[in-house]
Amino acid sequence: MRNKLIAGAAAGVIAAVGVAVPAQALSATTADLYVLHAVPDLPVDVYVNGDLTLDDFQPGDLAGPLDLPAGTYSVAITAATATDASAPAIGPIDLTLAAGTSYTAVAHLDAAGTPTATLFTNDLSTIPAGEGKLTVRHTAAAPAVDVLANGTPAFTNLVNPNEVKANLPVGTISASVAATGTTAPVIGPADVQIQEGVNTIVYAWGSLADNNLALAVQTISGLHSTPGGIPAGTGGLVSDQNDTLVGWGLAGLLALFAAAVLVALRRRPAAQSDR
Amino acid sequence: MLARWVIPATALLLLAGCSAPPAPPAARELRPEEPTPAPTAVVDVPTTSAALGAVRQPVPPVRVQIPSSGVDVPIRPVGVEPDGKLELPEDIRVAGWYKYGSDPLSATGSTVIAAHLDSLPQGIGPFAALRDVTPGTEVVVTTADGAELRYAVESVQSILKSEVPLSDIFDRAGAPRVILVTCGGPWSDAMRNYTDNIIVVATPMA
Repeated sequence: MRNKLIAGAAAGVIAAVGVAVPAQALSATTADLYVLHAVPDLPVDVYVNGDLTLDDFQPGDLAGPLDLPAGTYSVAITAATATDASAPAIGPIDLTLAAGTSYTAVAHLDAAGTPTATLFTNDLSTIPAGEGKLTVRHTAAAPAVDVLANGTPAFTNLVNPNEVKANLPVGTISASVAATGTTAPVIGPADVQIQEGVNTIVYAWGSLADNNLALAVQTISGLHSTPGGIPAGTGGLVSDQNDTLVGWGLAGLLALFAAAVLVALRRRPAAQSDR
Repeated sequence: MLARWVIPATALLLLAGCSAPPAPPAARELRPEEPTPAPTAVVDVPTTSAALGAVRQPVPPVRVQIPSSGVDVPIRPVGVEPDGKLELPEDIRVAGWYKYGSDPLSATGSTVIAAHLDSLPQGIGPFAALRDVTPGTEVVVTTADGAELRYAVESVQSILKSEVPLSDIFDRAGAPRVILVTCGGPWSDAMRNYTDNIIVVATPMA
């Protein structure tokens, strides 16, 4: 009756067979690490614990995810023409990765224009149905900025290397970045899609002084909520009354009748008592 | 910044050059003029451009047919109700496609199409036929761009609502499938709804 198989595959198997591509590889013992190259005009090599991990990594590219056991990693970033990690342009720096966590390490210019690296933690919390998450990270050689959505400030006074984020309804936003307190865009406007169940991470990068500010985007999916039920019938016209249920119904009626008769029989001698 | 890093390394190389004894023929000594082999990465890490680009737009299903059962139902996109449950078209002759999940052209995941079994004012709807569908039955889904996609029924189940594996039904990462859902089982006066969901899973025909 319950989980009654009407026809076909083994009862209860609704789970998809075949390759399911998980959105995240992280686990109770590993972390996900992405690397974003946000330093203009400098192809690089990235060494992790002394091993060359990203070769000839181009500005504006995103690598990953690397699935790494939790721990501390020494990262050095050299010019792509270098033959080893002895003379890094950035680092070596220690990145501590916790299990079950998603990170993006960003090589970028600080507010003054010096190459540096920042480790961001990516928010993987479940997003309500019908919404997506927008995360904005300031990784550009520029002062504090406001992030405008469809012309009005959504986030204000964001400084390098900080981030802001919010859940928003699904849809397309015309996004631009302006110096704090102003609305004239220094980046954009550009259309940013808020996708359901996706954390869309937008990076402002480049240099205001060098006139090469730009937006980079990273998306992390699989964060959606599942509907809580499918209430698909309100009429009561097609009730699946099988023999078992009818049998219980009849038996129930008989039992009630029998009980009523018993009560009536027992009560007759006590009919005079007060109630 | 770059210069500060480079100078000490160069100094080390010079020192090594001055003090090293003549190397035996078998050993290799690095000299500035010799081209050193470019290092190769120890792992192959997927790399992609992070430039802002076009995002794939879903292709909604607009019609579902089960020819052998006479089912022919238009579909419109639906979301969730305020209580978190799947929204369903009030007209029981129209089915709802969960617009936040996969569509028939998605590379992965289930296209979920549900319709009311019945309603008091309207009577019994076309999805009442789902309970009588047999494995192998053809299901045809028409998409908004006019394509007709064919699926074969893999299973038909009646499952108590509290036991329905919702995350499997609304899965977005597994093999692409169509899942048709309505209500079934006995009517519950207490719940004012049917106790079960009827779930038909159909997989793409080769």
